[in-house]
Amino acid sequence: MKGKEEPLQVLAVCGVGMGSSLILRMTAEEAFRDLGVRAKVEATDLSSAKSAKPDVILGQGMHTAEFEGAAPVVIAVTNFVDKEALKRQLEGPLREAGWLES
Amino acid sequence: MARVVTAARPGVAAEDWRAAVRAASQLLVDAGAAEPRYVDRCIATVEELGPYMVVAPGVALAHARPEDGAVALGLSAVTLREPVKFGHAENDPVDVVFAFGSPDRDQHVGLLGALARRLTEGLADDLRKAGDESEVRRLMEEVAADVE
Repeated sequence: MKGKEEPLQVLAVCGVGMGSSLILRMTAEEAFRDLGVRAKVEATDLSSAKSAKPDVILGQGMHTAEFEGAAPVVIAVTNFVDKEALKRQLEGPLREAGWLES
Repeated sequence: MARVVTAARPGVAAEDWRAAVRAASQLLVDAGAAEPRYVDRCIATVEELGPYMVVAPGVALAHARPEDGAVALGLSAVTLREPVKFGHAENDPVDVVFAFGSPDRDQHVGLLGALARRLTEGLADDLRKAGDESEVRRLMEEVAADVE
């Protein structure tokens, strides 16, 4: 099962792919760890993200709007350093996708 | 561990987000971590790509690309006397602006990891409460010392 044996492919996106997205990657790695979901989180810029086929896309709302439907789970993150808020946002969609056991 | 140039200034008077980004990125130039053109490229990055670098309530992370004149790994911070708006729907207004520069696309990864950790632990509020220049400088030196 993805999230257990096989890690989820997660993209943290931002405009350039070397600043904000790295901050978000750190927070996301810890959020997934806390949730007990295996995930490989990569920081990337918008154009690279568009050619990828990830399981989860995370980014500011102004960016994730462009990715609706590009991944099973797309989440708009407002605060890139708030792990608890990100965990709350991830739980429902991950469970729905079958990647989080209740 | 890569050597990190750090700089900080509290209580900067900035009339708008451009002035705030300019103040933060100019510290990198003054410290020898970036060429003068890096400042304009930091502003242009926000203009071209939007205010997504307002990464948390009140906190912006300005930067440009390595080829825009970043010559050494550097991280700076300014706190603003009056907050400014970047045009971010939720995280405006901003009163803490970081700027960083990296000579390539890898060297800064550990530094931003350390910055993320310290932000989670309340670095933005620590900077806001810092009494003087030596204290904000010390806080930024701590981030650099925390690089793994």
